Amino acid sequence: MGRTLHGRSLRAAAGLLAAGVALTACSSSSSKGGSSGGSGSVPGADALDKASGVVNLTFWHSMKDTNQKAVTALVTAFNAAHQGKIHVTDTYEGTYDDAIAKYKTSVSTHTTPSIMQTYDVGTRFMVDSKQTIPVADLAAKDGYSLADLQPNIVNYYSIGGKLQSMPFNSSMPLLYINVEAFKKAGLDPANPPKTLDELADAAKKLTVKDAGGTTTQYGFGAADYGWFVEQLTAESGAPYCDNDNGRSARATKLNLESGAPLAYTKWWADLVKGGYAANTGRPTADAQAAFKAGKVAMNLESTGVLGGYVDAGSKAASPFTVATAPFPKSSASDTGGPVIGGASLWIDRAGHSDAEVRAAWEFAKFAASAPQQAAWHQATGYFPVSVAALQDPSDVAYRQQHPQFQTAIDELTATKPSTATAGCLLGVMPQARADLEQAMLNVATTGTTPEAALSDASSKIVKLISDYNSAVS
Amino acid sequence: MFLLPSLAVFAVFILYPLVESFVLSTHGSDIFGNSSRYVGFKHFRDLFSDSDFYKVLGTTAMFTVLTVLPGVLGALVLVLLMESRIRGIRIFRSAFALPFAFSAASASVIFAVIYNPAVGIANGMLAHVGAKPVGWLTDPKWVLLSVVVVQIWLTLGYNVLVLSAGVAAIPADIVEAARLDGAKGWRLHLSVIVPLLSPQLFFLTVVSTINSLQAFTAIRVLAPEGGPGGKAMTLVYAIYNKGFENGNSDLGTASAYAIVLLFIVLILTAIQFGVLERKVFYR
Repeated sequence: MGRTLHGRSLRAAAGLLAAGVALTACSSSSSKGGSSGGSGSVPGADALDKASGVVNLTFWHSMKDTNQKAVTALVTAFNAAHQGKIHVTDTYEGTYDDAIAKYKTSVSTHTTPSIMQTYDVGTRFMVDSKQTIPVADLAAKDGYSLADLQPNIVNYYSIGGKLQSMPFNSSMPLLYINVEAFKKAGLDPANPPKTLDELADAAKKLTVKDAGGTTTQYGFGAADYGWFVEQLTAESGAPYCDNDNGRSARATKLNLESGAPLAYTKWWADLVKGGYAANTGRPTADAQAAFKAGKVAMNLESTGVLGGYVDAGSKAASPFTVATAPFPKSSASDTGGPVIGGASLWIDRAGHSDAEVRAAWEFAKFAASAPQQAAWHQATGYFPVSVAALQDPSDVAYRQQHPQFQTAIDELTATKPSTATAGCLLGVMPQARADLEQAMLNVATTGTTPEAALSDASSKIVKLISDYNSAVS
Repeated sequence: MFLLPSLAVFAVFILYPLVESFVLSTHGSDIFGNSSRYVGFKHFRDLFSDSDFYKVLGTTAMFTVLTVLPGVLGALVLVLLMESRIRGIRIFRSAFALPFAFSAASASVIFAVIYNPAVGIANGMLAHVGAKPVGWLTDPKWVLLSVVVVQIWLTLGYNVLVLSAGVAAIPADIVEAARLDGAKGWRLHLSVIVPLLSPQLFFLTVVSTINSLQAFTAIRVLAPEGGPGGKAMTLVYAIYNKGFENGNSDLGTASAYAIVLLFIVLILTAIQFGVLERKVFYR
């Protein structure tokens, strides 16, 4: 038998696989039908009062692990307080990027959630999607005061002087320090480096090599992360993108080729090439792992990792204490402050009943209230968006136990809201960040000059922005 | 009549997406990824005038060659070695076929831990022999190679299985006759067994090539956005990158990439059938 049959079947198998597999490779889904959305009218409180039965809400978020538990606690408390009237169902939709991808699909299929948590850099997109209702409109309708919200945070999420979404989870950038490593190197952890130059000097002193010349501890190590560049730019008082950080008109380009972006790119590449900084690439988790393992003595990260760092430091092979310092500045004369990051809650209007919108507004107010923000802050390490939450006795007690957190509060109090610290609004911010990070990595690992790499990234981003701007206009 | 069910499946899952890809590739996309206005062949013109596109093609070619050749030849060497009658050979046979049972995602995650610059074993072993640490996934020079290693590891198990089955199917009398004629050791392998395995080798070359052209998981896990400098950005990954990554929703360009990939796979497969297959010895 064998001869021909065997040969043919193999042939046929290979052929079929080739054809089938090649064809399905190009399948991609699409869904027709746009959204005629728009903000629509602003419903009043009576819409909810008149609603019969329970108003069901869907809440999409990107909080996992510890943070997800905190979301569940928040939602449970809200549902208990609105028993028989409003019921919120929360679903974890993956990372912020994943969630926004799903949101895009839901717009096309008219299945958007009632409440959507979106990261700071997704703000421009959410407004352009024309699906949501500004929380400022709802507040104005009720005469509800938003004055308890941190002014710096409100500054970020306001467009045209109008708060668009309810701030929810916010984080600040910090400099993290391994106290024992500092002491061993003869440095004073109580007097941490304040500028990039001082940081570089300290990194050189903190780098430790063994007898064989292998580096056992790097002085510095942070992820290749565009967020840090945005922070340094804001601190230098400069806008990150044109048209006043995209707030007076749509931004058309990023200011990457001079100032803080150029300085940081050069600075980081020099430290990596000199062997004083561990280059763990773009994943933030890898840089965190290096600091937690005691492999790097100084690290840049958000307030959100504080709990994990303190915990890891006490459990490390050679235990260490974690201290925090304000995020460094690119020059000592910089007077600005950091941009407040994190995410906010958007209330969907298009395709949602008046009662649902009102119920979502109730949830947004609840989530940003002082008692809930105090609990949220303590459970997650995010910065409370409510000013009053910091006065909450439980929060005061929490900060006595975690003195490292005070740095973030001091940092924020010292920051005057301005165009620079409002941060750049850009529809393609995630892509733009990725291009910048690629450029920085390129400089740190190859012979490319910072000027050439940033100019290249800058022109790529200009094209991204113009494509986006023409797609929404 | 009896073909109807399979025709229906073909129409829904293969024909429709294919046609849709062509349609998408000639349209612009709005910010939700819905196709907007007709733009003709603009996406293709943009592609062919974009230096990044040629970089992606080069990377795809490198990735394919570097994974297919070692993957197939490596499996062949392993299978021939396993012909020796030593104790416990069955354990080795199972061990070498094991990667086939691994999901690409979990294997990639394990490799991500191995490659970790600060706490991974790869650099740990290098440090042990006094070598400098390597930025496996952070250095543009290394990232493609690091992903290639994972891809080879992933395909090796299947290749070993197919070739082992091929060897087992070789009639004992042929080998016996060759032995009587004085062939032994490597000579027996190269002149008798390898030609008899040529149908399997051909099959594996075709399938591995297509697999490599479509490899996605390892890159997604180990080198998101194509890794540093985009050095591991292959065609398939570019489709995902343009369509979905980083909040992108440019399905027009992504579909143009997909059409290019379709033609490359078709052409390569045609060449393989036209040229390579002539050398195949079907019993």
